[in-house]
Amino acid sequence: MSAASLTSFGALHRLNAIVSFLLIAAAWQLVAVSGAVPAKYFPDIPAIASAFWSMLTSGELPGAELRTLTRALTGLAGASILGVGLAVLSDLSPVFRRGFAPVAALIQPIPPAALVPMAVFMLGLGPSLYAFIIILVTVWPPYFNGVAALAGVLGEQIRSGQMMALGRWQMLWQIKLPAALPEIFAGIRYASTISLIAVVVAEMLAGHDGLGFLLIRKAFAIRIPEVYALMFVCALNGILMTALIGLLRWQLTGWHMRMTEQPA
Amino acid sequence: MKAGLGKGAASGLIVPVAILLAWQALAWRAGTPLFPGPWQVALSIWKLWPVIVGQIGYTLMRAFAGFVVAAVLMIPLGILLGRLKTVGRLVEPMMDMLATLPPPAVVPIVMLFAGTGDIAKIVIIAYAAAVPLIMNTYEASKGLHVMANQVARSLRLTRLETMLHIDLPASLPMIATGLRLAIASALLVSVTSEMLLATNGIGVFIQRQQENFQIAGGLAAIAFISVIGLIINNLVFQLEKRWLFWHYRSSESHSDG
Amino acid sequence: MDIVLKVDGLTKSYGRGADAVRVLGGISFEVEQGEFVSVVGPSGCGKTTLLFAIAGLHSLTSGSVRLKGQPVTAPPKGVAVVFQDYSRSLFPWKNSRDNVAFGMARIGGRSAADKRAKAEAMLEAVGLGGFGDKYPWQLSGGMQQRVAIARALASESELLLLDEPLAAVDAQTRSDMQDLLLDIAIRFRQTCLLVTHDVDEAVYMADRVVVLTRRPTTVDHEIRIGLGKKRDQIATRENPVFLKARHDVMTSIRNFRAGAPANALA
Repeated sequence: MSAASLTSFGALHRLNAIVSFLLIAAAWQLVAVSGAVPAKYFPDIPAIASAFWSMLTSGELPGAELRTLTRALTGLAGASILGVGLAVLSDLSPVFRRGFAPVAALIQPIPPAALVPMAVFMLGLGPSLYAFIIILVTVWPPYFNGVAALAGVLGEQIRSGQMMALGRWQMLWQIKLPAALPEIFAGIRYASTISLIAVVVAEMLAGHDGLGFLLIRKAFAIRIPEVYALMFVCALNGILMTALIGLLRWQLTGWHMRMTEQPA
Repeated sequence: MKAGLGKGAASGLIVPVAILLAWQALAWRAGTPLFPGPWQVALSIWKLWPVIVGQIGYTLMRAFAGFVVAAVLMIPLGILLGRLKTVGRLVEPMMDMLATLPPPAVVPIVMLFAGTGDIAKIVIIAYAAAVPLIMNTYEASKGLHVMANQVARSLRLTRLETMLHIDLPASLPMIATGLRLAIASALLVSVTSEMLLATNGIGVFIQRQQENFQIAGGLAAIAFISVIGLIINNLVFQLEKRWLFWHYRSSESHSDG
Repeated sequence: MDIVLKVDGLTKSYGRGADAVRVLGGISFEVEQGEFVSVVGPSGCGKTTLLFAIAGLHSLTSGSVRLKGQPVTAPPKGVAVVFQDYSRSLFPWKNSRDNVAFGMARIGGRSAADKRAKAEAMLEAVGLGGFGDKYPWQLSGGMQQRVAIARALASESELLLLDEPLAAVDAQTRSDMQDLLLDIAIRFRQTCLLVTHDVDEAVYMADRVVVLTRRPTTVDHEIRIGLGKKRDQIATRENPVFLKARHDVMTSIRNFRAGAPANALA
């Protein structure tokens, strides 16, 4: 696919998104005005917008948003590096791979919410709490994808490297990691959603600040327009995160994205 | 052969044992019941398991109910949206947006409409399970190969036959992925919803343990969750392998050839 | 003439004890400097096993492989391989120039600019001048194969091992590629060892054909193809020398297949 048709494809997608967004807003407004649902629980768009605006100007929202995003992003970065590191270690050492796989399988299903109360006692309320929770739930997609992708590097590519007498690290750096990177990024993308969820959950349960805490506080104060506005911000964060990952992914594995765009 | 296997299993134990020992060492150094080691957790499991099993029952039942609701609604909807291209294109960005809305963020709103009872929790779980289900079903149904359609036409299959014999099997692997993700998030969110809308279940049990400073008890409950999660994941994987063997076989032989 | 490759009593078995399967049952042959040798045998005779053993990618059960007198135990400097599945052996994250430059990884003491220039020259040599910026997945199958050949050439190897390199391209591209390979072998005085199932190709390309038996594989006999270095797709294939050699090799292989147990034919 040429660069021109790629950008027009992107534009079309954006147009779709805008039309879709306007449709949701229109439908929402219609329901709110019709009175089918009590206005108290289902405020109309202007009410939500003005709630959003007042939280924005009071500084309440920007502060919480900054904290939540910083936590999610640093947690995701740490988890990605750790996850890929563990995958590389598993690739280099069969003993580690065999030993760590069951540990991963056991820790992976633990809900972040269940960890929060225990972790509060063991780690306090500081940044290490958030780091622990986010990393413990976010590390798995990059790890599992990394292990699978490193094991799945084509035999012909490995043998080409062997013919050049590449050492263990050169093989990893020049052949295995580049080949595995697209799949690892698919894992990181999935992890980005989980990291946002984990941060919001941790803030809701342990919270004294951040978006999750704000959401719970507004809900208990029955400030419904604010709650909807905050949910909207949460969804926007997801889009922002996906866009950031997409940018990084284009930088590192652009060849793969262009390859898969290629008409067969 | 047997000796080799035994040796493999033994070397596989090195890492888990090292992790447990490191944890125990940290716990000894901390020297407080607020930072229990694996030994104290094991003792708590021994003491508390009947209570834990009972509470997990509530959690699993709600997770299952929410998952079933989501599967029954979202799989047909996903297939339909994938078939109706124009509607699908309009709805796709909406799905993307919903996918980025974390399940716990919908808790306050669900609370308004449905209170804090079982129904509220099941709604939240169903929402969490719905996202991966509809996304995967939609993608699968949208991406059905043109070639398969031509085969169907050349064989003069009816619309219903095409859907049953070609569309459904072809999209099953992706739907299965959606189901697996949905089951995992139903379990996760079931515990989360209990902790936010407390009545009963393992999430509540963990909170009670925390309130009484029984950290080892809470960790014992977490150990149960993780084992049950592991068993369910394995079960789903085994079923997937049994029913979709043709998909696994052909993708394996692809990577070999 | 110098002997580049000497394979002596090479055997290879898989498994151990009573379950052991002997694939190669003692293979011996030599390849001289500047020679183009084809190795051809019936299906399932373990040709890839043999090739990997020569490349140092597989260990031997017994016997020896010597490159310029040095025993081969690991992938040696001075052997380049063009793999059968070329599209998989190229790196999709490198453009063709960098893929070719990767072939020089074992040649020390060169600047990046030198390597780039050499890579361009090699691409030129295989008829891909100006395609350096293209990625493998932007090229046709035949062009990808040329990149793989250029990469092998760039490593300045004593011996070029060709693992049925043309099995996956269409018939017309295939005859073009055969001539390209022959042309390159002459121009660069490259010693080549081609391993293939295709008798026509083996005879058309080679100065000498080594005919293998079925498993456990040994060398049945060798034929020198007295056709000179220059070949032509039409004239050579009608030449009585070509036809006689083809008849000879074809007959041997058919006899092996007729005598083979049913499972080896599958």
